Amino acid sequence: MSNVNFLAQVSPWAEIQIGEQLSLFSPMLALVCTMLAIVVCPMIFGRGARVTGAVACLGIIATLILVLRTAGAVADGGLSGLSTDPGAGLLLVDNLSVCFQLILVAFLAGVTWLWWIGRAENERNAPEFFILLIGSALGMALMVSTSNLLMIVVAMETASLPCYAIVGFDKRSKVGAEASLKYVVFGAMCAATMLYGMSLLYGVVGSLNVSTIAAYTVGQLSAGGPSLVLVLGLICFFIGIAFKISAVPFHFWCPDAFEGARTEVTTWLSVVSKAAGLVLLTRLALVFCSAVTGPQAMSVLSPLAWTIGIIATVTCTVGNFSAYRQTSVKRLLAFSSIAHAGYMLMAVAVFVHPDVPGTHLGVTALLAYVVIYMFMNLGAFGITALVEWETGSDKLASFSGLMRRAPGLAIPMIICLVSLVGLPPFAGFIGKWWILVALGSLDSTLGWFLIVVLAVNTLISLYFYMRVVVQMTLRDEREPVLRAPVGGLVLVNVCAVALLVLLFWAAPLKDMTDRFSQHLLRLPVAQVTFEAPPATPVEEVH
Amino acid sequence: MNILTLIVFLPTLGALACLVVPKRYVRGVAVAACLATFLVSLLLFRTFFGGAADSEAVFGSSYGTLQEVFRTPWITSEKLAIEYFVGIDGLGFPLVILTTLVGLLACLASWNFETWKIAKGIRGYFVLFLLLETGMLGVFVSLDFFLFYIFWEVMLLPMYFLIGVWGGPRREYAAIKFFLFTLAGSVLMLVALVVMYFYSDAAIQSAGPDGAPSAYRAAEGFVVQHGTFDLIELATNPTIQNYFASSSTTFLGLRFAPVMFMFLFIGFAIKLPSVPVHTWLPDAHVEAPTPISMILAGVLLKMGGYGFLRLCYPIFPTGADFWAFFLAIVGVVSIIYGALCAMAQTDFKKLVAYSSVSHMGYVLLGLAVMTEAGFQGAMFQMIAHGISSPMCFFLVGVIYERAHHREINRFGGLWITMPKYGTMATIGFFASLGLPGLCGFIGEVWVLLGVFQAGGKFAWAYPVAIVAAFGVVLTAGYILWLIRRVYLGREREQYVDYPDATGRETLILVPMAVLAIALGVLPSQTVFNFTNGTLDLVLSHVTHVIGLFP
Repeated sequence: MSNVNFLAQVSPWAEIQIGEQLSLFSPMLALVCTMLAIVVCPMIFGRGARVTGAVACLGIIATLILVLRTAGAVADGGLSGLSTDPGAGLLLVDNLSVCFQLILVAFLAGVTWLWWIGRAENERNAPEFFILLIGSALGMALMVSTSNLLMIVVAMETASLPCYAIVGFDKRSKVGAEASLKYVVFGAMCAATMLYGMSLLYGVVGSLNVSTIAAYTVGQLSAGGPSLVLVLGLICFFIGIAFKISAVPFHFWCPDAFEGARTEVTTWLSVVSKAAGLVLLTRLALVFCSAVTGPQAMSVLSPLAWTIGIIATVTCTVGNFSAYRQTSVKRLLAFSSIAHAGYMLMAVAVFVHPDVPGTHLGVTALLAYVVIYMFMNLGAFGITALVEWETGSDKLASFSGLMRRAPGLAIPMIICLVSLVGLPPFAGFIGKWWILVALGSLDSTLGWFLIVVLAVNTLISLYFYMRVVVQMTLRDEREPVLRAPVGGLVLVNVCAVALLVLLFWAAPLKDMTDRFSQHLLRLPVAQVTFEAPPATPVEEVH
Repeated sequence: MNILTLIVFLPTLGALACLVVPKRYVRGVAVAACLATFLVSLLLFRTFFGGAADSEAVFGSSYGTLQEVFRTPWITSEKLAIEYFVGIDGLGFPLVILTTLVGLLACLASWNFETWKIAKGIRGYFVLFLLLETGMLGVFVSLDFFLFYIFWEVMLLPMYFLIGVWGGPRREYAAIKFFLFTLAGSVLMLVALVVMYFYSDAAIQSAGPDGAPSAYRAAEGFVVQHGTFDLIELATNPTIQNYFASSSTTFLGLRFAPVMFMFLFIGFAIKLPSVPVHTWLPDAHVEAPTPISMILAGVLLKMGGYGFLRLCYPIFPTGADFWAFFLAIVGVVSIIYGALCAMAQTDFKKLVAYSSVSHMGYVLLGLAVMTEAGFQGAMFQMIAHGISSPMCFFLVGVIYERAHHREINRFGGLWITMPKYGTMATIGFFASLGLPGLCGFIGEVWVLLGVFQAGGKFAWAYPVAIVAAFGVVLTAGYILWLIRRVYLGREREQYVDYPDATGRETLILVPMAVLAIALGVLPSQTVFNFTNGTLDLVLSHVTHVIGLFP
């Protein structure tokens, strides 16, 4: 019980030391401080790229340490804070948010490394670059640590706005500018839709707290169907999130933005930006689930799960089929990332059946997948970046004969791509495996259906990933040997080895994500004027 | 150290060694690794000759008596227990020996790598070759479904590159076709893997708080608490079997056992390959280099048949009963269609490839009827084909290296030019034909006998047997015609100065020729003694369960 009703024991705001509350949110503060330091630094040391990079690295290390500290503090239960009402804290921190922040910071380090190898030489606007990069990281860290509508908007815009700018970071690049513009227009539209939906929700429910909204919705459902305004509000709200995770049909920005942006930026967007959206969706779904009680639980949750499942199916199928005709590897990987967002959405769909002992197979699978996906994409995009920097193009043609020209790049690329397909003996398979297990544990038509979809999509995706492999191994245009920097080789080969190791040591990763999917904070449902059912722990749902 | 683990991972060690040694030693290291694997695998015979010669002592009295067992938890979480679980019985044992033997011979056949058309990347070739061998051996020894699946997929990538990089002119197409077909089968298997786990879990949970006592681990007092990936447990545990076979158990609205049987069947039928999912095979064979064709025909195809015997039949007997007619028809069509296709070929290698389709049809037919002779014949046919078809492919390879073409009609009188090679070729092709006294005969006859045996059980058995027997005539037709066109007749001018089989080639051909004769003359001592015990247990288990659920 402690995991669910943790907040019931939290003392009111006045009794908790503000310092203690702030210490739990210190990773975010550290990111803010890093940004400030990057602003201040040029005034003292000049605008050197290396200096800025070093400051950023220090900031990342500090953040990492603070996240680990927080992880220890919230291991047995989450905390919501910065509010007088413990049930409606603006920010909250629990295992889920901490886990995502760990992944985020680790990935931030990886992207910085990639930047350091390829860009630090002749980067003229390093401070701006890092402020934008870390700014979006801050937004994503906030996204996963709230269940308050207002805070969700603030967090999502904090995450998105720097991303728009960073996609078009090279001012003279026409493609970048076009990509950025498309991204902004699409993003602004989706954000506006989401805000509109939120205003409707607030108008109907009178609260910004997601758990209250959930309770209200459930109450209305049990009283004979929700009002149209409420449904419209919820749909508009989810459009905003669907944009973030590039679920079909809100994915059109994705290939263009990915192709136009610098490769290190694309790497950044491809993993954490989507993962943040997915974790946010997970949290919302969890809140929703914990608000549902009694006999109508199945009838409420089942359509929700089916909706997410269908969106996931469409997303991964469209993503995989669209990738077929691509000639740019970045674009191909962009569509691949859409497909993978679909796979991860499947894990989110596993919510009809909240597990009793606290660990949630869906959350576990999602977190494990994100960790593995991080290595796969960092490797694949890293190699694409290294090839692009050497040959000046990310077209499929520039990969030809890579096996001969640079085996140190080609072999990890093969490993990353095969892992993206999801074939053993690489970790991509284990990622898919946990999703399959989570779906199987549903023991319902939805679960079996999604299992078949996932399996078929694996087959569909094989062909286009293999096109890159074919280009590297079977074609050879007698192009000169390619010399990649040592740092780059280390980065991508570490990723490849990690993918091998994570298969054979699948259990530790599973244990880790199991740990992080325990004791998730589920906010108690506040009393609403409508006759909402009382908050009940998940155990009693089934 | 567990001997099976050693056998499986010796080639991997060899592959690692190949990565580091200087280039000119790579071949030697690879051959040494294959030889070591083969020699170690011969040690497996010790169980059979170590005093207890009767089959009961080795195979026990119920399905699930294993030798050289090693099991240790691999990936465990709350409910999921995936084990590293290896062991052999009469199904896996002969195939392990076959794999290590064919692996060694194919490795020797790769010795002249420098003379190949695409002779670059010797290191990569042998590393992939050895990894492939690890994958194949792993499939035959692993008894945990998850582990089985991992090894099954591990083979794909090396095979893809071996065909795709070192193959013939249409290698790219052939390689991706192989990959897509096999993966299509294995994703179905993946679905079955997950579904079977959760259904077995449901079975156990419904059994109550005491779980379900295991039958084959009764001596340990082992009780199954959750779903399992243990292939023997899935087949022998009464609780699980009752649940799987019950007609009230459904998957997506369809009866569970037939559906799961079909999922697994398609996966294995692609590998076998049976018509209509055989089309990858001629392409892959024609484009693959000779040693890889040997492996492909000698070992990879056997995985399909092994999969039937290890998964489909023991775990879903009622599914097998449900589909029996369908399977028999697919088997017969494979036999006849494969033979007719073989007859129409002018490409030497393609002919041998289609003959594989035809021969493996007997395996499917023998299994489909579920009789003693049928099962024994199917297994024997797998072993026999595992000897004769690599031999045929190597024979094709030998002549291709000299002539650089494979047009049957452009050859003639090769026996006169190359007497040693001609003799070997005759043995090889007659073995494939099924001449009495050679290995191909026993398997085919046993299968046909098995089909006749099923006459009381299935009304369709006699007609099917008669049609299948007609396949033997077709086989004789295309092989004799082939021999006439290639080896007999007048000597042709452009071939007169061809050197006879070299020492290396003879070294590769002689063991296969000797085995082809030995298997034909002494079928019991060479194969049946090792396989029949387990096969009979599988069969009695299958018929027992079918009897419970009419």
